[in-house]
Amino acid sequence: MGPYPETVRSVTDGSRPLLEGRGLTKRFGGLTAVNRVDFAVQPGEIVGLIGPNGSGKTTLFDCLSRLERIDGGRVLFKGTDITRASPHRVARMGLSRTFQVIRVYRKMKVLDNMLVSRRWSGDSYLRVMRSSSAEMVRRARELLEFLRIAPLADEPAGHLSGGQRRLLEIGMALMPDPDILLLDEATSGVNPTLIETIKDHIRTLNGQGKAFLLIEHNINFIADLCTRVYALNHGETMAEGTPREIMENDAVIDAYFGA
Amino acid sequence: MARVRGRLAQLGQGWGGLGLWWLLLAALALYPYTGVTHLTLFLGSQVFVLVTLASNWNLIGGMTGYVDFGHAVFFGIGAYVMGILVTKSPLLVSPEWGFLQALPVSGAAAAIFALLIGLPTLRLKGPYFSIAMLGTFVAMREIVRVLRPLTGGGVGLNLPPVLNRLGDYYLMLVLMGLVVSIMWWIRRSEFGQSLIAIREDEIGAEMRGINTTLHKILAFMIAAFFTGVVGGFWAWQNTFIDPDVVFIETRTVEMVMMSMLGGLGTVWGPPLGAVVIYVLQTVVWGRLFGIHLLALGILMVLLVLFLPEGILGTSGRGGGTSIVRLWGRIRKRSDP
Repeated sequence: MGPYPETVRSVTDGSRPLLEGRGLTKRFGGLTAVNRVDFAVQPGEIVGLIGPNGSGKTTLFDCLSRLERIDGGRVLFKGTDITRASPHRVARMGLSRTFQVIRVYRKMKVLDNMLVSRRWSGDSYLRVMRSSSAEMVRRARELLEFLRIAPLADEPAGHLSGGQRRLLEIGMALMPDPDILLLDEATSGVNPTLIETIKDHIRTLNGQGKAFLLIEHNINFIADLCTRVYALNHGETMAEGTPREIMENDAVIDAYFGA
Repeated sequence: MARVRGRLAQLGQGWGGLGLWWLLLAALALYPYTGVTHLTLFLGSQVFVLVTLASNWNLIGGMTGYVDFGHAVFFGIGAYVMGILVTKSPLLVSPEWGFLQALPVSGAAAAIFALLIGLPTLRLKGPYFSIAMLGTFVAMREIVRVLRPLTGGGVGLNLPPVLNRLGDYYLMLVLMGLVVSIMWWIRRSEFGQSLIAIREDEIGAEMRGINTTLHKILAFMIAAFFTGVVGGFWAWQNTFIDPDVVFIETRTVEMVMMSMLGGLGTVWGPPLGAVVIYVLQTVVWGRLFGIHLLALGILMVLLVLFLPEGILGTSGRGGGTSIVRLWGRIRKRSDP
């Protein structure tokens, strides 16, 4: 809502990772869902995150976006430690995400969903007592146009189909002009044509300098887009490498297709 | 027809809606000059009280989605702060004007209490919040009963009787006009949109950069402030307060019902619901003496079953307000 303190500039060189996890651990009671995971996303990179069901992918996302409390290790975003930061602060710093189970504001119009997802930092507290600025409305409409759901702008989000809601969620994530997008199964329940559309969008946005971290079960999607892939199993990093290396990795093949 | 409904909805949220509201206020301001009795002025101020309370409750219960089953606690705090200041404080200029001095203090006390109680309770979700607020309400009644030196305990407090029906009428008219206009303003603002986003998906809102804690607390404090002011006014007008007339459950139930009947989360629904309930109370329930609470209960059940969105609530299939849809369903049902 209001201005947030300027992020502390890290003293490391320009090649420091945009988003970095060091020894991340998350436990649910006796279950260790994420166990000492190290990973990094460089600025402008598209990184994939794969693994069987229950391997801890979404939990890792939840830790990174600060939805879940982190039990061990650290998360750094733009060189700032965000291990204990509140989720809205992390979002305002430029990290956007989508959700495996879609989160849109069902009773609000599609356009209003977009407007209320704007970048909230940098304004005075009194700004929110006014209605959305014309510039924001223009940006929201442009993004809806870009995602080809502009004709639905005045519909309540609850009326949209599953695939359209996925696109709306991506639009809402793009609204604040983030530096990194975490997409959790952006292609699940989406028809093949639309998947190609999403792929194009990711390429276009990546061309504009945005980094991506993708959770996917659609291996082709990962192979087409990502430069690097992490494979998780039982909450631990099983393998890391290029998509080709990962798909030829015995441990990964075992985890996916083995007994 | 659908287009007409769409236009109406737009009008309600646009400047047109506010313009009509101010026209209505102007008409109500001229009303006392048509030669009305003191009783009519008194009843008028009572309706304004209900409209203001419903509008306030709707901010936290309807727009933000935190169903407050103890909201009358702020009314009670406002009433008692007024009672204590008017009877015990040496600071007030005169009985007549001291009342106006004490009125904002009543609101401020309620708002501060909302801050203190909201910090823990607004972390609770759904029914847990509702129950916690109900508990707060009941606990406050007992606290007031026990703090005898300050509150007079079960005996209550007698306020100086200053009869000024015309003044009361105009004061409540201004307060009601102000509160509903503020709600209209909030509903249009990014603040109001954020509150609705919190209602629809609080985690989603927080994850998209909305400071949900701050928004909820602010909404709660605004709703509590004006409820406290109304409580202060009510104590002054009633000239007598004790724990059982001030902290009465029905007051919260009324706020909830008026908002629901009119349309949760809408600007004009709760005021409309308040008027409808008031008319029902005087015209219908006056003739059902002894069983009017039963009638209130039955109405509430029917409301939840058949008109969950309220009269002006929209959403769901087909668009249009839900009362129009209900009417359509009834007509279809009765077709041969």
